[in-house]
Amino acid sequence: MRAVATVRPDDESFEALFTAEYARVAGIANRVLADPHEAEDVAQEVFIDFHRLHSSSAQYAPAWLHRAAAHEALNRLRGAKRRQRRELAQAAEDVDRTADPQAILELNEDRRRVRAALARLAPRPAAVLVLRASGLSYAEVAQAIGVGIGQVGTLLRRAEAALRKEVGRGTSI
Amino acid sequence: MVDDPDAHTGAEGRHFETCAECKARYETVAGDARAITSLLAAPELKVDVGSAFNRVRSAPAARPRFGFGLPVVRPGSRPMVLAFAAVIALAGLVVTAIAQGGIFTPTSVEPVPVSVTDIQALSQLSDYGSLTWTTKPNLQIVTSADEAKSISGLTPPKVANLPNGVSKTVTYAATPKAVAVFTFSKDKTASSAAGTGKNLPALPAGMDGAQLTVTVGPAVAEIFGNMTPPKAGSSALPADLPQLVIVKSNAPVATSTQVSVKQLADYLVTVPGISPELTKAIKVLGAGGTALPIPVPAEYATTSKVKVQIGDGKTVNGVALGDDTGVGAGVIWVNSFVYAVGGTIKLSDALDIANHLT
Repeated sequence: MRAVATVRPDDESFEALFTAEYARVAGIANRVLADPHEAEDVAQEVFIDFHRLHSSSAQYAPAWLHRAAAHEALNRLRGAKRRQRRELAQAAEDVDRTADPQAILELNEDRRRVRAALARLAPRPAAVLVLRASGLSYAEVAQAIGVGIGQVGTLLRRAEAALRKEVGRGTSI
Repeated sequence: MVDDPDAHTGAEGRHFETCAECKARYETVAGDARAITSLLAAPELKVDVGSAFNRVRSAPAARPRFGFGLPVVRPGSRPMVLAFAAVIALAGLVVTAIAQGGIFTPTSVEPVPVSVTDIQALSQLSDYGSLTWTTKPNLQIVTSADEAKSISGLTPPKVANLPNGVSKTVTYAATPKAVAVFTFSKDKTASSAAGTGKNLPALPAGMDGAQLTVTVGPAVAEIFGNMTPPKAGSSALPADLPQLVIVKSNAPVATSTQVSVKQLADYLVTVPGISPELTKAIKVLGAGGTALPIPVPAEYATTSKVKVQIGDGKTVNGVALGDDTGVGAGVIWVNSFVYAVGGTIKLSDALDIANHLT
């Protein structure tokens, strides 16, 4: 008989998990929030929450982190105060990156409309879209949201259609 | 979706090669996917993993509550409260042993409602001395009962009948004994009291440097549920499980030097500035008697007293736990060892397992 996993000292395994997954977890949050600073805040909160109650050696750790990052970021997206702060920060950042005022306006307006539409989607389709757009494979998306891999394609297509429809509405936040 | 090999598998893929209608639909879907990718474009993210890790490590909440993580808790799920409650109960055993002093051999259990905040306040003991593991818990996950026994020295209990719907797949968790030492410090305590502008009450002789040594475990747990990654097409998710956990642990043993444990507990609650939560925790857990208090987080779990059959027509008193959603249940009792059964099962099932555990 062999051991399936020997739990390493938790500090060591947590650091290994953090190193392996932090960029991706922050990337998922950034995909939702379009705000690198707040995305890192979400990522760190998610790791802290995980570390409080779970073993870093748990097989489900990456899937848990991916799902939690998507949900926490989507929750923040729906929070009005944070949204306003984020938009201000985003505008300032974009001003730094381009000197074309028209381009800044268009970029901000696009992102605002898309994030507003994303915030209006139901949690699962929103999470599926974000996780896939963040580079997760079908298998990883399936694990993160708790469905069979065969369902991911259908869920994605429905979610994409729903988002396009919401964006098309063009309603303001 | 178009760049993932899992998107088209087996017969689906072969059909796609020859079906014009599907190819046309594919173009539409691919167009949607490209449009969504473009819509969800985000500002570039550059992360400094090392700095981020340091920030997380310095956050007090990042430390596992009891010095080690829980390997088998369903994430984001209310039934996990039961597992959490069970762990708090085990932490309570430690503290109870501290409070009782000497060698404590519980013969029954008694539910004591506390708040999670009260239990968390125990970490404030470090304001009055040092709290260290001299032998850290070393939890290992293994696949066989023999291996679990070789780690813990305990034979895992046998379940007579699993409730319907509970997976027969079993994994074992085992740990040798762990030893924690609390060393009371006059200087630290005086420093904590100084913040309140009040003096320390007179120290009993021998209090400074007095040590409490608590030994917990060894312990072994059986975890029923699929702990392996899901196969393609399966809806199973390792994070959804376990469904049932059965724990068997040696009762904790505590010894003290220089003063009695009761002297130390009585003194600590008189120190100026000690929080009401820590005072409550010490008082509740220090309550005397031969029954072992099981601290239950009142916000999450309900309790009731039950009788557990231990063979030959004999019964012992046990504590039944239920989470406030009605989804999970558990039973804790003492029969030479401390036992706990819990999971996303009905209380009647948990009791049935407890009654027939061998």
